[in-house]
Amino acid sequence: MRSLLQFAALVAASLAIAVTCALSGASYYYSSQHGQGCSSCHEMAVYGAGMHGSAHRNGTCLDCHEASLATKLRHIRVHLTRTWPETIRLRESDVFAMTPNCQKCHQQEYASWHAGPHAATYTQIFTNAGQNSRQHLMDDCLRCHGAHFNGAVRDLVQPQNEQGPWRLVRSDLANQPTIPCQACHQVHSHGTPQTRPAARISVGDEPIPDSLAFYDRREGEHFAVAALALPVLHEGARMVSVSPDPRSALCYQCHAPRPPDTGTPAALNGWGSQAGSGDDRTPTGVHEGLSCLSCHGGHNQNARASCKNCHPRMSNCGLDVEKMDTTYADAKSPHNIHWAHCEDCHQHGIPARENAPASPLHGALAGN
Amino acid sequence: MSSRGKTGTLTRRQLLSGAALGGVSLTIGCRLGRSSAWEFLSDEQARTLAALCDQVVPADDFPSASQAGVLDYIDRQLARVYRRHRAAYSDGLVRLDTLSRTRFGRGIAALSVDLQFQAVTAFAEQDKSFFELVRNHTLEGYYGSPRHGGNRDAVSWRMLGLAEPPIRGRAPYDLTKGSTS
Ligand code: HEC
Ligand code: HEC
Ligand code: HEC
Ligand code: HEC
Ligand code: HEC
Ligand code: HEC
Ligand code: HEC
Ligand code: HEC
Repeated sequence: MRSLLQFAALVAASLAIAVTCALSGASYYYSSQHGQGCSSCHEMAVYGAGMHGSAHRNGTCLDCHEASLATKLRHIRVHLTRTWPETIRLRESDVFAMTPNCQKCHQQEYASWHAGPHAATYTQIFTNAGQNSRQHLMDDCLRCHGAHFNGAVRDLVQPQNEQGPWRLVRSDLANQPTIPCQACHQVHSHGTPQTRPAARISVGDEPIPDSLAFYDRREGEHFAVAALALPVLHEGARMVSVSPDPRSALCYQCHAPRPPDTGTPAALNGWGSQAGSGDDRTPTGVHEGLSCLSCHGGHNQNARASCKNCHPRMSNCGLDVEKMDTTYADAKSPHNIHWAHCEDCHQHGIPARENAPASPLHGALAGN
Repeated sequence: MSSRGKTGTLTRRQLLSGAALGGVSLTIGCRLGRSSAWEFLSDEQARTLAALCDQVVPADDFPSASQAGVLDYIDRQLARVYRRHRAAYSDGLVRLDTLSRTRFGRGIAALSVDLQFQAVTAFAEQDKSFFELVRNHTLEGYYGSPRHGGNRDAVSWRMLGLAEPPIRGRAPYDLTKGSTS
């Protein structure tokens, strides 16, 4: 009997030692330089390898990833039992824990994003009475808002009706951002060295980095912007010239147009998706062909400072465009900055030019 | 302390050193298997397989099989649901390599694309069933869902003219105005 107890005690003691050794080993692994430690476990190698050529090659895994004692133990168990999944993915909690880590090194981007619309929280998006009384809550919401949430919309917000009042089932998410950095950026490029997905040619001189990528909730994967589609859009029957800037393909995943509604002229005549339908903001008129990022940028998507990049150089009217009657000067203006046409203001024809400087772009268009 | 205790001491020592060893091997153990980024394949096997798969789907305006991640797909499945095909792959890749060395003097991965084509054509006749297995797996990887490691960035779907993920605006209806969708 005594020996049995002794034996049990011994087993317990040696287990404890094994765990201690393993943990200190694991801790060494996790914190070793450039993530060589983590990557030396087979199943992590691919994820580590993807870092080598990236902007983050000098970081360690723990700069971004949280690895609590529980996580380390789970990793050891999964490693020893060889039960890691076919594709290793971050869990919801990993993603939320990570965003503040991005802030450590990217103060400016973080502050700007935080001040802008994309940092909207789960409370703001999912308990919004204006939205919820007009539209059913549905799983599709999560495609554009809260893509990293792991569950169905009913696991997130209740009641699922149009009366409310609505509350988050997951109150821990109340102040979490619905569009965190990881919605638009990937850090690891995937696959082994052979893997090389096709890229769209960039419009500018600079190549578009793979790190700019849309997180597709359904696949649980990022799609590099070069792989994303740009929409084909029409204004009436006319095909609109859409900027080929690959970066704007990211915006179109959420600020997306719709097929024509039944009964509209576009639907009856088979003209195809219209610019400005749904949440689309594709410029037509004076700014047709410009990329979203010609005006919006800096992570808060503020367009206020952009006019100076082109005006008055490209102006026709000889006026300060910032003061003209558009939604830039006054949100209630009938002339939406995305869709203003010369004829909207000049309903009786374009006046003869007196003192306005020549517009290179307009000249080119007029020459056609 | 009785003689039983002595046995206990011995056991303890064994257990303790065993445990310590276990812990240490956890820390260095991983390190030993480090060189390859693959779960099942060796680097050598991966090179041979890449040459074979890239004859099934060569690169044109769109990426080849290996460029689209087909090897990642096959490797991951061989470590899981296709465990039963492991021997077929290990043996088949050796046979392909042998054929290539006998006829062309080099491993297939080192041949020019033209010679690779000849080697694979000959191999497909000689080793019909393994070739067809690899061909099927290649097409699964190339045209299947990106989540399984192949069809990176959904390139094959784009090749077929499908946008993935599609550009699709939110549902337009407004309950307060009566449903329109
Ligand atoms: C340890 C510091 C550090 C942390 C933490 C960090 N970054 Fe970075 N990041 C960098 C450095 C350094 C660069 C390279 C900057 C440069 O090249 O100018 C960079 C570059 C980038 C780029 C541009 C990459 C490119 O391909 O051009 C993106 C996007 C980015 N980081 C996103 C993130 C996100 C998202 C997180 C959080 C998950 C994060 N970073 C966390 C240091 C860090
Ligand atoms: C296709 C992507 C997409 C889907 C799906 C989607 N949204 Fe949105 N949502 C947007 C965009 C883009 C905006 C910003 C629109 C703007 O300001 O022009 C937005 C804005 C909002 C806002 C901000 C408040 C407002 O209306 O000004 C709320 C709340 C919201 N969405 C809730 C939801 C809910 C709830 C669902 C599901 C019923 C949903 N969204 C589905 C893309 C989407
Ligand atoms: C709605 C999408 C979106 C979100 C969310 C987002 N970014 Fe970006 N980010 C972009 C775009 C678009 C660019 C490219 C801008 C350009 O090329 O001018 C970019 C560029 C960057 C760069 C490279 C900057 C440079 O000068 O090259 C860094 C670093 C970065 N983002 C960090 C972050 C961090 C950190 C967060 C979270 C706090 C974040 N981003 C959230 C869209 C996003
Ligand atoms: C700069 C921040 C950063 C660093 C450094 C970093 N990661 Fe990540 N990791 C991320 C982000 C963000 C994701 C989410 C997916 C993505 O962006 O690719 C992620 C995802 C993962 C995943 C899940 C797979 C996936 O693509 O979703 C694994 C595994 C992983 N990282 C392992 C590592 C290892 C191992 C290291 C060290 C070699 C490391 N990471 C270093 C930011 C980082
Ligand atoms: C993941 C989905 C998503 C992506 C990608 C995205 N947006 Fe947004 N955007 C939204 C949502 C949702 C809102 C509304 C947030 C709110 O009002 O609470 C919004 C709001 C905005 C607003 C401000 C709207 C307002 O009412 O002031 C601008 C401007 C904007 N986005 C521009 C962009 C640009 C430019 C890009 C591409 C670089 C982009 N967005 C990419 C989802 C997205
Ligand atoms: C010519 C410059 C310009 C271009 C190009 C542009 N925007 Fe805007 N956008 C603005 C201005 C100006 C505002 C008004 C808010 C402000 O002044 O900050 C605005 C407002 C918005 C808003 C919120 C207000 C609203 O209209 O509901 C969204 C969302 C938006 N833009 C998205 C986009 C997207 C997506 C693209 C690309 C398809 C784009 N914008 C292209 C200048 C531009
Ligand atoms: C990337 C360059 C670019 C940016 C940025 C830009 N515009 Fe323009 N804008 C143009 C061009 C080019 C024209 C003339 C188009 C033509 O001649 O057909 C124009 C024309 C206009 C016009 C018609 C009146 C005129 O004098 O031609 C207004 C109003 C205007 N822009 C307002 C704005 C405002 C407000 C902003 C800042 C939010 C802005 N634009 C940002 C390129 C730009
Ligand atoms: C937001 C309204 C608005 C838009 C859009 C607009 N204009 Fe004007 N434009 C004006 C106003 C106001 C004046 C000054 C009063 C007048 O002459 O009608 C003006 C004046 C002019 C003049 C006379 C300039 C001078 O030297 O006296 C020309 C030429 C002109 N616009 C051409 C254009 C062209 C071309 C476009 C389209 C690219 C355009 N405008 C778009 C409002 C607009």
